[in-house]
Amino acid sequence: MTADSAAIRAFRPGLIQRVLRSPLGRNRAALVGLAILLPLLMMAFLPGVLAGDPNAQDLSASLRPAGVDHLLGTDKLGRDVWSRIVYGAAPTLLGALVVIAISGLIGIPLGLVAGYFGGLVDALIMRVLDALLAFPALLLAILVVATFGGGLLTVVIALGVIYVPAMARLVRSVTLVHARLAYVDACRALGYTDARIIFRHILPNLVAAVVVQSTIDLAYAILDIAALSFLGLGQQPPDPDWGSMLADARSYLLQNAWPAISSGVAIMLAVVSVNLVGDGLRAQLDPRERER
Amino acid sequence: MAGYVVRRLLALIPVLLFVSFVTFGLVRLAPGDPVTIVLGGRKVDPATAQALREQFGLTGDPITQYVAWLGRALNGDLGESYRLRQDVLDLIADRLPITLELIAISMVLAIGIAIPLGIAQARRRDSAIDYVGSLLALVGLSIPVYFAAMVGVLVFAVWLGWLPAFGSGEDPIDRLVHLLLPAGALALGTIALTSRMTRSSMLEVLSSDYIEAARAKGLPERTILVKHAFRNALIPVLTVTSLQVGFLIVGSVLVETTMGLGGIGSLITDAIQNRDYPVIQASVLLLTVAFALLNLVTDVLYAVIDPRIRYGR
Repeated sequence: MTADSAAIRAFRPGLIQRVLRSPLGRNRAALVGLAILLPLLMMAFLPGVLAGDPNAQDLSASLRPAGVDHLLGTDKLGRDVWSRIVYGAAPTLLGALVVIAISGLIGIPLGLVAGYFGGLVDALIMRVLDALLAFPALLLAILVVATFGGGLLTVVIALGVIYVPAMARLVRSVTLVHARLAYVDACRALGYTDARIIFRHILPNLVAAVVVQSTIDLAYAILDIAALSFLGLGQQPPDPDWGSMLADARSYLLQNAWPAISSGVAIMLAVVSVNLVGDGLRAQLDPRERER
Repeated sequence: MAGYVVRRLLALIPVLLFVSFVTFGLVRLAPGDPVTIVLGGRKVDPATAQALREQFGLTGDPITQYVAWLGRALNGDLGESYRLRQDVLDLIADRLPITLELIAISMVLAIGIAIPLGIAQARRRDSAIDYVGSLLALVGLSIPVYFAAMVGVLVFAVWLGWLPAFGSGEDPIDRLVHLLLPAGALALGTIALTSRMTRSSMLEVLSSDYIEAARAKGLPERTILVKHAFRNALIPVLTVTSLQVGFLIVGSVLVETTMGLGGIGSLITDAIQNRDYPVIQASVLLLTVAFALLNLVTDVLYAVIDPRIRYGR
């Protein structure tokens, strides 16, 4: 590790100093968040580099505590907990990213259209979305996933749709403000089409708000995916996933707490890191926060 | 005031219709013939299957089924469990007290801890207690409730031996002791959000001119904090706390499953495992109605605290 960072420094002098002096770098909490998040993302994208087969069973080595052979011990079937944690990162983290992507792809256009056109269109879109908000989010997700059968794909799609109203409401509220500004009137006077005004001129102004909302949603998406998977509705066995590992580990919690603690801490670290990075981004992007 | 409440109640009707339609529709979309779930693998002749279909209201087109189901639901008949062959409402009534107690205890814990903590943090900004409180809030926001419950079992039941690890207890005192651990786990997220909100709301109010004036008058710090600052800081706090009710409802599902408590939450998770759709449908519907009503109650509370809101809408 030290050799690597030395090489980076030799290759691009001052890189680390530059990062530390940048606005985000001065935000200590966001840096800590990134320092936790990056290894987790590496687990999600390159699990093979960090660990062996997560499904390899060794019944003679069942429920071992953490040690040299098994970094975080073994579960009931003698599977290596570290490997399962590493391979379990992808369903939770990448799943949560897809949830945000879905909610953005549907929610941003809906919010833009509702906020820009107003009137009946606005009323129609927002009434439906508000009605969706009448459900406690995870409860609706439980209902949908239980209906269509468990699995990561169902979970991610269901959560993606359930997250649409929050994103759409935010985009709408910002669009409402912009639709009344002089530059939009100027665009209209120039004869631009509504679509061009919405997507080329208003949309770029929403980036900050959307990024901040996405990080908030990302933290919740990680928790929700883990919760559904804890209930046995997410990633199906034997493939590892933090939530289902925790559910499995509950039954032998008192004999070996390592699997439970490891998967619980993994979920927590993911959520903490996203929250810290999100707070940092908000401090940078939200003008109201910057004034404080 | 009465007019405002009536208007809000009327606005609730289409929302509840939508909720009931979605709940009903989703369950009807489930793949497979519900009768096979009722039978649980046993083979019967077509006539018996048809009789069962009629008994569970599964005949006719979906819209007719929905209207019939809604009519029965409004009369307090939410159907019969596929698996237990019991009235769903009876099942829920049996399980409801534990869930309500769990949510009530954790709400009391959350408010009792979060509001004083937030005020203390605001009063001594950047002090040790401020940092500890912020750290606690970050952990509380990030820890899954079921994991918090498990850690609670390890620490308070296994290592320290202070609290029971499992079950819901017999007499009222025993029940309270049993619920303390799960309620505490459930409260963490609410403590986090409420203390954060109390802190920032108090900070904003404390920097305003009228507080300065109160100080200049020589009022005791305690009176300023409690009587002058906190009242005005209360509204955003109330918003966040009320939004937490949804979180507590969902959290109770997870905590009950983890801790083996026989409430609505474990009723739902058992029903999911057994594809007992009438039970899932009715429980989700009832929890959502409760959620909507509680939101209404908070909105009315705002209007009581801050009369400007009544005229705004």
